[in-house]
Amino acid sequence: MSETVLKINNLQKKFGKLAVLKNITFSIQRGEVFGFIGPNGSGKSTTIRILLGILRANGGSATIFGQDVWQNAVSIHRRIAYVPGDIYLWPNLTGGEIIDLFLKLNQQKHSTKTDELIKQFHLDPTKKARTYSKGNRQKVALIAAFSTTASFYIFDEPTSGLDPLMEEIFQKNVLALKEQGKSVLLSSHILSEVEKMCDRIGIIRDGQIIETGTLEDMRHLTRTAITVEIQEPLTNIQHLPSVHNFTPILTADKTNKVSFTVDSENINQLMEQLVKHKIISLQSTPPTLEDLFLRYYNHHEGGGEHE
Amino acid sequence: MSDNLFNQLGYLTRIYLRRDRLWIAGWLVAIVGLIAGTAVSFDGIYGTQSTLASIAATLKTPAMIALFGPFLAKPPYTPALIFVSEMMVFMGLFFVIMNIYFAVKNTRADEDNGVTEVIRAHAVGKLSPLTAVVIELFLINLLNGILIAISLSFSGMTGTDTNGNWLLGLGFAGFGFMFGILSLLLAQLASNARGATTLSYLVLGAAYIARMLTDVQNKNYTWFTVFGLIEKLAIYTANNWLPLLYMGLLTLFFLTITVFLSLQRDIGAGLLPARAGRRRASFFLANPLSLILRLERTSIIVWVCGMFILGISYGSIFSNIGDLIKTNPIIADLMSSDALRDSNQALILNFAATLSVIFAIIATIPAIIIILKINNDEKKGWLEQIHAKGISRLNILSSYTAAALLCETLCLLFALLGMGIAGMGAPDPVPLVRFLRAFVGYLPALYVVTGISLFLTAFIPHLQNIAWLLPIYGIFSLYFGELLKLPQWAKNLTPYGWVNRVPLAKVEWSHGFLMLLLTLGLIMVSYLAYSRRDLSGT
Repeated sequence: MSETVLKINNLQKKFGKLAVLKNITFSIQRGEVFGFIGPNGSGKSTTIRILLGILRANGGSATIFGQDVWQNAVSIHRRIAYVPGDIYLWPNLTGGEIIDLFLKLNQQKHSTKTDELIKQFHLDPTKKARTYSKGNRQKVALIAAFSTTASFYIFDEPTSGLDPLMEEIFQKNVLALKEQGKSVLLSSHILSEVEKMCDRIGIIRDGQIIETGTLEDMRHLTRTAITVEIQEPLTNIQHLPSVHNFTPILTADKTNKVSFTVDSENINQLMEQLVKHKIISLQSTPPTLEDLFLRYYNHHEGGGEHE
Repeated sequence: MSDNLFNQLGYLTRIYLRRDRLWIAGWLVAIVGLIAGTAVSFDGIYGTQSTLASIAATLKTPAMIALFGPFLAKPPYTPALIFVSEMMVFMGLFFVIMNIYFAVKNTRADEDNGVTEVIRAHAVGKLSPLTAVVIELFLINLLNGILIAISLSFSGMTGTDTNGNWLLGLGFAGFGFMFGILSLLLAQLASNARGATTLSYLVLGAAYIARMLTDVQNKNYTWFTVFGLIEKLAIYTANNWLPLLYMGLLTLFFLTITVFLSLQRDIGAGLLPARAGRRRASFFLANPLSLILRLERTSIIVWVCGMFILGISYGSIFSNIGDLIKTNPIIADLMSSDALRDSNQALILNFAATLSVIFAIIATIPAIIIILKINNDEKKGWLEQIHAKGISRLNILSSYTAAALLCETLCLLFALLGMGIAGMGAPDPVPLVRFLRAFVGYLPALYVVTGISLFLTAFIPHLQNIAWLLPIYGIFSLYFGELLKLPQWAKNLTPYGWVNRVPLAKVEWSHGFLMLLLTLGLIMVSYLAYSRRDLSGT
């Protein structure tokens, strides 16, 4: 598992004077599905375009299969498959023609797998691309990518136009790739998708990777939401530095019920305190990726706690 | 009901006018500037009776009638009379091109990129966008016409009169507007902007060629060619307002059909229905070059056929040009039959040399379109997937270049073949092979123009449209330069001017070889730039 497929080190990109990427550093191992998340305009697509040799980096390094992404673009591309976020297809070719063309451009052939995918995704390949909706254009690119035999797959927000059924088929196919030991870079806004499929996650904001790790790792770095009901009134809990958003909940039977969030690393200390007040019920919700996402985006404005 | 159809019309019209203001100003400067500039200079160029008589004699030849329309004036000639016989047909073309541009841009092009859909989703009448374009076209043409009339009044050109000045200005306006509306009509039939533009130019080409043929054969039929109406105004002679009325009636007719069709069809759809295509790619469609040829297939075929027809139509008047006996029966007695044949052939070849320049310039247009697509297709996002494949940038660049070179080669070849074949009807026909001198002579110049376009595409992608100055200035300097007496250096600014008068003269092989070397150099330098720069995606 230690074979590194993608390695990005301190990657930088400027458009004129504007620094779009300031410091991108992460790597993807063989057999890994890596989630790449961040708000709009944070540099996800720019990073991917550099990986594809479409844009040239101003600093730092990026290698795929140990080869430089700019110098050896062509030989790298023979072993990768890519689905862009906004897919524009030649309006007067049919979906079927485009799928075949994409395969042939990588010296591959239309296979039974391709036919199977066309069926799975419910695509009519005889229609001209001009008549396709966004979702159908995405299907064309996805079918071509999934029926390509590659070692590394790059998906840039691939499901933004798909309905939930198609999204599930997409996820199924990604998991199948994972089982075959392929590596995947998945940039996405659909956090449930990332949560379900990705082994590790990188969060990008303002052209910098601000966090990488497994979802579990990240949960440790953030807060757990707790709702607790106790017999004796809480006195000092809200003053603990690790407790946030302390709100008493007034219920009819006048018991003491409160909700708050706590830094996950201090959860043990908190429990010791709570036990003293005799717990009636306790509900703890681990942070979802969505919480993480929002927290990173909001709380990091102007240099937050984790920097 | 009318509220439903025309809601927000005024607001939309203002938006269109504001959005297009730079383009409108650009066309205005070009058209009015060209007409006013020519008018001001004409007294200087044709100041004496002898220069007037000699240009009148030239304009009376069938070759010139084919290019500029018939010469109707009677002596004594004035510069103004020469001016109208040179300008009407030519500037009429400019007006039509301007109208096609605005008509397609604000209807089909907006539909293609989804703007119309967003506009129509608001409280906007069903016919408002279309009507707004109609009003915009009307205002643009009217403004051009008025400014032309005023500038002619102040030009000080001998032989003008107020009635004629205004008839000329408004005549152009009415003519342009008529073709603008026709273009809106054709835009309802096509299924996208490119189709609408192609269709409009096809109709324009057909009308222009019909005018040419009727002018040379029997100019009474020119009334029916629609394009010929512009000549029938008979400016500064009869000052006939009747053709303007006909233009108005035809405009109304085209407009009625356009509105009818537009209410019939859905947004984004053409009236010619889309049919199911291939389920699988053909064996042929497998690499960037075959992809580009497949995408450009239809337009290449249309261009090549168009050039062939253009060649045939010019060639078919060789029998009128290359026949001295017809114009001067006494000549037969004075010359031996061999000498007569040589003179007849020289006339044809001289005319063919002028035509070859025109063919060469037109042939580069589709090639430039293809070259500029390297960046235009990129902007549309069509190449992003190709970049992600095992395809080098050299492959992409050379595929577009190869398609462009192939296209212009075929265009030039077929135009000359058409001319040569149709020219066989002359009493002393020139052998077909002789015309191939023009092919071999001009081909390297075409390639240099392509090379320069590629250079611009690679180095300054955001300013690549500068490439259009080559054919525009080329047409101006070579087609028009004779009449405006431009100095030689001014004709040599574009590669088209670097070629000698083939097929009349012999091919200058060393010249051609140097141009090919230059082309190769331009392509290589362009590749170096293209392979090093960022490709701007969407």
